[in-house]
Amino acid sequence: MHEGSITSQIVENVLREAEKRKAKRVLEVHLEIGKLMFLNPEQVHFWYQMLTKNTILEGSQLLIEEKPGTVKCPKCGYEGDFQYVDDPALHMPMPTLNCPKCDGTVKIVSGKDCFIKTVKMLI
Amino acid sequence: MKINDVVKAEEGEIFDIELDENILKANAELAQQNRELLRKQGVKAIDVMGSIGAGKTSLIEKMVQKLKTHYRIAVFKGDLTTTIDAEIIGKHGVNVVAINTGKECHLDANLVQKALRRLDLEATDLLFIENVGNLICPAEFPLGSEKRIVVISVTEGPYMVVKHPFIFMDADVAVINKIDLAEAMGVDIAKLQNDVKKINPKTKTVTTNCRTGKGVDQVIAALNL
Ligand SMILES: Nc1nc2c(ncn2[C@@H]2O[C@H](COP(=O)(O)OP(=O)(O)OP(=O)(O)O)[C@@H](O)[C@H]2O)c(=O)[nH]1
Ligand SMILES: [Mg+2]
Ligand SMILES: [Zn+2]
Repeated sequence: MHEGSITSQIVENVLREAEKRKAKRVLEVHLEIGKLMFLNPEQVHFWYQMLTKNTILEGSQLLIEEKPGTVKCPKCGYEGDFQYVDDPALHMPMPTLNCPKCDGTVKIVSGKDCFIKTVKMLI
Repeated sequence: MKINDVVKAEEGEIFDIELDENILKANAELAQQNRELLRKQGVKAIDVMGSIGAGKTSLIEKMVQKLKTHYRIAVFKGDLTTTIDAEIIGKHGVNVVAINTGKECHLDANLVQKALRRLDLEATDLLFIENVGNLICPAEFPLGSEKRIVVISVTEGPYMVVKHPFIFMDADVAVINKIDLAEAMGVDIAKLQNDVKKINPKTKTVTTNCRTGKGVDQVIAALNL
């Protein structure tokens, strides 16, 4: 869905950084994408190729690492994966904000983010 | 053998640069600026998100009709390219700013900030922000509003909630619209309400018919307006 806008922000940020350092070329970009971003890595790769054409990023390697989402319960302190409800009518288990350990409501700690971790440049 | 072309390594040195840069931070910061501006000016802003054609505009129209004697209302209307919805709402005599997102499938805090500059905030108490019809992307892009409504309708079938849990996690009010069509669609409304409750026990659900206005008072109450 929003792969296009996210990827163009990634390319923009890397370009800005590369220009700042007067890099000749960018060779590799390492991304960390939270599961809860619902980005399809295949589509991110596709957009990346399109958006880096005729820039010093053209032909660079994009490495994507997917990170799981974690939640925390303010009531009992549980930290970890969501509780899922399994409904036979569904194809997939549904994540919920119910704490798996008590009757509290959990908060999302991570997984709703997208980081540019490292960039390999030829300077 | 004649060598025509020699491939030369590029001059320079290779560096690994740690960036650790959060892509969504820019939007989150702008959203926070919007939130502060709205609070300072005493404007209550409410996001109206939901699937395409679920009844977002109809719900806003009905709320505007009921609330315009109590509040000075403005509406932001995000759409890909058209201004149809903005014109519909404008007929009710409230301020409307159309925000065309172009190719983007959601509003972002930057677009909302630009729209806020076009509004007389001193003369506004209540602001509805209708997002582009979409149950996935708006969840990632906070705009700076105080409350969030998600509208779905029974015509989208029985799995609309469970297929998009994340937008409901952030919702203060979930509106299940077009209940007049529930029987024809064979959709169990109690099941939909229960799905919302399972995802986020704090989200209030309201069932509505935004053609007749049935249930709209409960939406208003759920928003504490
Ligand atoms: N039967 C019935 N029709 C409804 C109801 N609410 C809205 N509609 C109709 O559904 C259609 C779409 O309603 P809108 O309010 O434009 O929906 P929307 O979510 O704003 O649509 P987009 O902005 O295009 O995504 C219109 O023809 C409405 O008249 C309802 O409760 N029952
Ligand atoms: Mg609409
Ligand atoms: Zn707990």
